[in-house]
Amino acid sequence: METLMILVFLLPLVLATVLILPPSGSRLGLAIAPLAPLPALLLALGAPAGLTLDVPWLLLGSRYALDETGRVFLGFTGVVWLISGFYAHFYLAADERYRSFWAFFLVTQAGNLGLCLAADAASFYLLFALMTFAAYGLVIHTRSDEARRAGRIYLIMAVMGETALVMGLLMLVHGAGSHYVAGLAAAPVPAPAIWLTTVGFGVKVGLPLLHMWLPLAHPVAPVPASAVLSGVMLKAGLLGWLRFLPLGQAAPEVGANLMVAGLAAAFLAAAAGIMQRDAKVLLAYSSVSQMGYMTLAVGAGLVAPQHWPLLLPAVTLYAVHHALAKSALFLGVGVAKAYGGRSWVLAGQCLPALALAGAPFTSGMAAKLELKAALAGIAAPWGEILPWLLPLGALGTALLMARLLFLLSVESAHGGRRGLVLPWSVLVLLGLLPAWWALGERMLLASTGVVIAASWPLLVASVLAVAVIRLRLRSPILPAGDLVNLMERLFTFRRSTATLNAGEAPR
Amino acid sequence: MTANELLPLAVLASSLLPGFVIFALPESWITARTTLNLFGAITKLGLVFLLLAGVRGGEKYAVRYEVLPSLDLALKADALGLLFVTLSAILWLFTTLYAIGYLEKSPYRSRFFGFFSLCVTATMGIAMASNLFTFFIFYELLTLSTYPLVVHRGNDKAMRGGTIYLAYTLTGGTVLLSGIVWLHHLLGHTEFAHGGIAATLGAEYPLQLKIIFLLLIAGVGVKAALVPLHGWLPQAMVAPAPVSALLHAVAVVKAGAFGIVRIVYEVYGVEFAQSLNLLLPLAILASATIVWGSVRALFQDDLKKRLAYSTVSQVSYIALGVALFGPIGTIGGLVHLVPQGIMKITLFFCAGNYAETLGVHKVSEMDGAGRRMPLTTLAFSIGAFGMVGVPTLAGFISKWYLGLGALEAGMPWVLAVLAASSVLNAAYFLPVLYRAWFRPGPASWPEEHIAARGWRETSALLLLPPLATAMVVVLSGMFAASASSPLAWAHLITDREYLQWKP
Repeated sequence: METLMILVFLLPLVLATVLILPPSGSRLGLAIAPLAPLPALLLALGAPAGLTLDVPWLLLGSRYALDETGRVFLGFTGVVWLISGFYAHFYLAADERYRSFWAFFLVTQAGNLGLCLAADAASFYLLFALMTFAAYGLVIHTRSDEARRAGRIYLIMAVMGETALVMGLLMLVHGAGSHYVAGLAAAPVPAPAIWLTTVGFGVKVGLPLLHMWLPLAHPVAPVPASAVLSGVMLKAGLLGWLRFLPLGQAAPEVGANLMVAGLAAAFLAAAAGIMQRDAKVLLAYSSVSQMGYMTLAVGAGLVAPQHWPLLLPAVTLYAVHHALAKSALFLGVGVAKAYGGRSWVLAGQCLPALALAGAPFTSGMAAKLELKAALAGIAAPWGEILPWLLPLGALGTALLMARLLFLLSVESAHGGRRGLVLPWSVLVLLGLLPAWWALGERMLLASTGVVIAASWPLLVASVLAVAVIRLRLRSPILPAGDLVNLMERLFTFRRSTATLNAGEAPR
Repeated sequence: MTANELLPLAVLASSLLPGFVIFALPESWITARTTLNLFGAITKLGLVFLLLAGVRGGEKYAVRYEVLPSLDLALKADALGLLFVTLSAILWLFTTLYAIGYLEKSPYRSRFFGFFSLCVTATMGIAMASNLFTFFIFYELLTLSTYPLVVHRGNDKAMRGGTIYLAYTLTGGTVLLSGIVWLHHLLGHTEFAHGGIAATLGAEYPLQLKIIFLLLIAGVGVKAALVPLHGWLPQAMVAPAPVSALLHAVAVVKAGAFGIVRIVYEVYGVEFAQSLNLLLPLAILASATIVWGSVRALFQDDLKKRLAYSTVSQVSYIALGVALFGPIGTIGGLVHLVPQGIMKITLFFCAGNYAETLGVHKVSEMDGAGRRMPLTTLAFSIGAFGMVGVPTLAGFISKWYLGLGALEAGMPWVLAVLAASSVLNAAYFLPVLYRAWFRPGPASWPEEHIAARGWRETSALLLLPPLATAMVVVLSGMFAASASSPLAWAHLITDREYLQWKP
């Protein structure tokens, strides 16, 4: 079992190495590459609780462990990587750079799966950085101008995030006198450390203002890469927060700011998403919006530590729900582009879309119920505001999903790619599970009030959507990446006035 | 003469004697020269491992020769010196191999390898000097033996670079000498010792001791390229790639940094230096150098110049670690002697490969270099990411310890310096990697000298050294916590250094 923990990240790394060797040796590697997340899934399903592996000679003394939160993250991360891998196998079959894609895909995967197990600050940081930097290769896979631009912005923000993160971690480790996650939890935490850690992981989570790489990177990456980026890699930032923020202790200042940031992300990103023409950009904004709810919950945990025992399972369930639904939607966009906006494609996409909007008896409703229950009774002013805001947020998501289905319905068939439908359908169906896994019979016993509360945003959204289509209203268009465009313009202006170095990469 | 006295001398002789013989060899005796070079390098490495085993077990190796009463030439192989000796011996072997490949068919090779060997001898002497007088002798020998290497190509640019180099380093040497003489006058001797020797003067001469500290640090600061004494380093880039590699990773710059370590720990003593308020100014100076070097590196299109400014920045990590009062900062500074050396030597080997193989000297010419030379570019990438401080590479370990050391010393602002340096390192290295890996190559390279044959993108002697050092970069970071890592050795030194110190 302990060896399996090493295999979780070693197997993808070895496969990636095999793949970049000369062609003769790499054929086998390519054939089994989609299976690389299997050790992770085996561990998540079958490992005994409290599995720990100490590797004292590695790095600064490494520890890998499987706790319950880690098990859930490892599980859904593994599922999404596995299915996206199979999807990628077909999606990139005719791609000239499929070997480079697979190498980056596997290294990113190694980091992402491994960090679910990392139980010391240095190992977590190592695997997080590995994931971040390797994903650059996924973002710029097509080598188009947009991809290069997205890659540059991704990298700039990633370096900023990593730097803030390592400084935050250093402060945490210094304060605790130990670099093991278990040792960090007990120690009092200096405020700058909380801020730096929040911001460092916040780049990955897509906090407002740190989110700008997201709507640029997701659409340019190949579909299976977008699925893992949006579905599970954003959750790595969330897991970072869960591991390193002093949750269970009070940090009201950071907490309140996080709650505000989460709500801002939830609403503003939904609004920005509605103003998109590209389904993948829309989905990227939807991810920022959904991560906003998880940010809200983490912030609430810092504001009101006594609520954290309830908030943690709620956040975890939300993460599972969003990971499965969002990656299914991304894979579905690829299906829609291949087969056009046919009714069976739209019907399939409806399931995860409804789940995101929190429709009755979906994982979305389960996640939102848990979140509401955990937030109930939180101190003023949040206690008064949230019951009003959360349903409005659901309405925003429902409108966003309506827009998505509309965009997909007018998609024309580009054809050509076989084998995409099966992995997509599997993921869509898997998305139905978490609701029952978390709530079981409570789902069936949901009161009419709950069902109505979950339904009305959908009804309102449907009515609005039909009205918009009937009246032939057109939404204004917001350029993907929103503020970054403004910043780039300022930067270019400064660049053209002051002659800068020739060594910089040209635009 | 006992074996314990003989061993340090043998370490010196293993490069000095081959050096003398090589001077005398005719230009065309390639095999004899190569054999001698490698024989010397491998013998030295063997001797160094003997020393390492002995010192770990508590053995003392020292030898002393009285020049004048109270003025001794003295060598000792202690833990601190051995860190530098080992690094130099290993990298000398790689650089020798590389230089053999690099200078193939070029003129004046006997002269080159002769001075090359002298240069390494001087470095070993600096590492093992056990008083300031001996340190100074070898320090000047280093200046004189590197000058012919810098001007090896003999063209106008090389001569100008060499003149600037001499002007800076000889001035620095004079300043250093004046500090040493002054201190000798006050103390009557300049022997290095754990915990320092200046403390015995107590509070008698605080002002004089401060001025002497300034003179000594300024003297070695020239070679360590502390801002504003760094002007020679980018000019010395005219030297052939193996020389630049040696200058930046092992010999000159590192000798300066090592001098700072000796002066702070074994002449003044870190606690006494702290009580004289000397550490904070040093930390500020080092921080300024770190940031300034990185900022200048951003604007260099010449690849070797960019690396040179990067050295200015990275070497000051060592000075910074020394200036952080407390064992963890010390570990960070000491351990960075090693990563900085192996990462920088890797980068310079690679820069040399691009120049020799493709005629690529500029960052702006590097588009597509990764496709043409994947192994070289892989090694370059490892070195670059190490410089940025990404784990598991060696640079991460020193950054981690420096950060913790800064917090321990109550100087959290140093974290901001480290953060700025990481970001700047990323800003000047990542665009290079981006060009090499992700941009399409040109129709033809500026001057393609060596054609690719199968996996051999360039000649084997050029390719293997950077691959080997890149592997060391990975391994020394990955296995940092193991008992035989540089980190473990830095712990050993620190334990011995802070014997009296209790927090």
